[in-house]
Amino acid sequence: MREPARQPRVWRRVLDAVIYAYPLILVIAVWEAVTELGYVRPLFLPSVGAVVRQFWPMLIGHQIVEPLAVSLFRAFTGLALAVVLGTGIGLAMARFASARWAFDPLVSLAFPAPKIAFVPIFVLWFGIDHLSKILLVAFTCVFPMIVATYHGASAISGIVIWSAQAMGTPEHKIMTRVMLPASLPHVINGLRVTLPVALISAFTAEMVAGGGGVGSAMMYAQRFFQTPTVFVYIIVMLLTGLLLDLGMGRLRQRFVYWEQHD
Amino acid sequence: MAITASQPMGLRRWRSSRDAIWQFLPVLLLAALWQAVSMSGLIDPDFLPGLDRILAALWEMARDGELAFNLFVTIYRSFAGLAIGTVLGVLIGLAMATSRAADGFFGPLVATTYSLPKSTLVPLFILWFGVGDITPIVTVVLACLLPVIVGTYHGIKAVPPILIWSAQAMGTPRRLILWRIKLPAALMPILTGIRIALGFSFVLTISSEMIATRVGIGKLIFMDGENGAYAYMFAGLLAVVLIAYLSDRGMVRLMRYLLRWQDSAELTADA
Amino acid sequence: MTHVRVNGLAKSYRAGDDIVPALIDVDLEVREGEFVSVVGPSGCGKSTLLYILGGFLHTDGGVAEVGGRVITGPGIDRGIVFQEYALFPWLTVVQNICYGLEMTGIREPERSQRAAAFIRMIGLQGFEHRFPRELSGGMKQRVAIARTLAYDPSILLLDEPFGALDSQTRETMQDELLRIWLETRKTVIMITHDVNEAVYLSQRVYVMSRRPGRIVEEFPVALDRSLSREDVMLSSEFNALRNRVWLSVRRQAAPAN
Repeated sequence: MREPARQPRVWRRVLDAVIYAYPLILVIAVWEAVTELGYVRPLFLPSVGAVVRQFWPMLIGHQIVEPLAVSLFRAFTGLALAVVLGTGIGLAMARFASARWAFDPLVSLAFPAPKIAFVPIFVLWFGIDHLSKILLVAFTCVFPMIVATYHGASAISGIVIWSAQAMGTPEHKIMTRVMLPASLPHVINGLRVTLPVALISAFTAEMVAGGGGVGSAMMYAQRFFQTPTVFVYIIVMLLTGLLLDLGMGRLRQRFVYWEQHD
Repeated sequence: MAITASQPMGLRRWRSSRDAIWQFLPVLLLAALWQAVSMSGLIDPDFLPGLDRILAALWEMARDGELAFNLFVTIYRSFAGLAIGTVLGVLIGLAMATSRAADGFFGPLVATTYSLPKSTLVPLFILWFGVGDITPIVTVVLACLLPVIVGTYHGIKAVPPILIWSAQAMGTPRRLILWRIKLPAALMPILTGIRIALGFSFVLTISSEMIATRVGIGKLIFMDGENGAYAYMFAGLLAVVLIAYLSDRGMVRLMRYLLRWQDSAELTADA
Repeated sequence: MTHVRVNGLAKSYRAGDDIVPALIDVDLEVREGEFVSVVGPSGCGKSTLLYILGGFLHTDGGVAEVGGRVITGPGIDRGIVFQEYALFPWLTVVQNICYGLEMTGIREPERSQRAAAFIRMIGLQGFEHRFPRELSGGMKQRVAIARTLAYDPSILLLDEPFGALDSQTRETMQDELLRIWLETRKTVIMITHDVNEAVYLSQRVYVMSRRPGRIVEEFPVALDRSLSREDVMLSSEFNALRNRVWLSVRRQAAPAN
């Protein structure tokens, strides 16, 4: 006769998580030791406690949530634009040789290029506020979305499209009702890879050009040597990235249930 | 942990210069459109300088050495960071793939830090290392670590056991298995990781330069933008895009040569 | 003289939380210079047996010995040829064949000479500097066999060596293998699902049961190997024996009643 072991199971999982994360605990321990023993000046490396203590005042002082909301707004809007545009172009390229011809060299040239170098242009054209950042994010993210969609759509077996045509599907419906759902796993995978890119682009553009958001706030703190603040922002960006990636994983599970895994 | 974006299509091999022109025609058409719009005066010529002015600016920067110098600095920083990051990344990836202890140590570290944009560390590094070469190089090293570690790790793990078994049956001592069998078998994913790291290296160098350095093409573009020298800004940008494109192509050539023995079915699979 | 001896061999795999037995109480004995096959239904564990003999897997019970000594790991006395060839794709044909020679300490110029001899033996002159990806399946398998023979292991372990080839190439390769064996008289243990192949090539055929595998029957093969392939395969002796073996395997494959 066995008693259901509920308490030990939860403990077990906590213990497993702690054991898994031991390198992180080690890093924090070394960090704390180095600062406590006075090996580095607090200007360069504030103590763990100083960083943690900085968090609360920043939170209630509207220095975390508001800039983060701005950055996320820009990142997501730009990403949404990139997804719509990129998916459309990718599908068109898979379906029409003329689209392939038109976009191939552009994508090939743009893909390896460091899109961040375009920030001054976008600021010139669209100002320092949201629009330039949103468009830069879109510009950076559209190319991986095109490539992901193109690969997904190209992999669709030709006979699937022929079947749809035989059943009288008009051309525009072929793209939306056949190609798009069939490429969805690839598109979502592309999205998963591109989401961090969107965040990075938004943050970096803000660091380069200012104009609100977490990036500018961080540069501002750096200019005034407010190191604990800089650390808080780094941690905020780290956590944002982690949470979003976790969320993406869940999304994929929900929407792509029909995918066959070979 | 899927950090590898699908590979871009890549242009087909050129059989003649006619082929090359046909493939790049859309870009030339776009350039012609640009020139037309610029000359028509529909848009303020400052916002959209004509190609003639941009090319003239490019020529001038090339002639007085400004372009060469700044490009050199940027390229030097990118490649130094890439080289260090690659060596470290391969070593760490190897360790993680072959030793459970190493996997237990580096795994959580990699998993936590991969969602941190490395460019966000630039302000911190400026505080630590100043505005010289070290800040961009350290940033690039950190950014390049991830794709190379992931590529190496997955490459080594995916080596078919029958290759290792055959080598063992033929008397290969343990210390040689890694060097003679596992590394060559994993070469493609490793090189793919390096190719991705190459792209990162430019992005992060330019990001650092735009945020704060004394010299570099990123800084040059940024300053030209600040000073209103827009033709020069576009010219610098053009140079950067070309350099990035050419180095990626160079990498692809190198990969094709090093992997010339690879079965083509494996070549087209996503890394 | 007994070369390979297996007694009471057992092996299980862990799949998730379950333990799946692959082999139970396997017994077999192979004498020096014998050509022996093991046949059985799919998934019965024949490959597992071979991998244990090769030293790539450990036993969970029972004994596996070569030359009176327990098998503890891979060794140059036991060469192995896999169904998927397992050639090193980054090495050319001649480099692949030289690999085992290098590992067993054979130095130049003897190494190149031996490799050249084996390339002649398998009829691939002119292909020395090709990569495996440029070869057909049959050619790859010939290189795999040559590579294993080159450093002269005393035992040859073959894991469905011709399974990936089309039937015509397969027949050619079987005759090649037979010719090589008649010439070198190595101890050969072959795993195959092709009963024809087993009877045609071996001196004894073992039949294995469904999973968990154990040896259930043994068929000695007495064929006149000097006859041509057509004569052998059309002969009544061959067909009678082949039918008996086939029936035995089929009974093993049928679901338990």
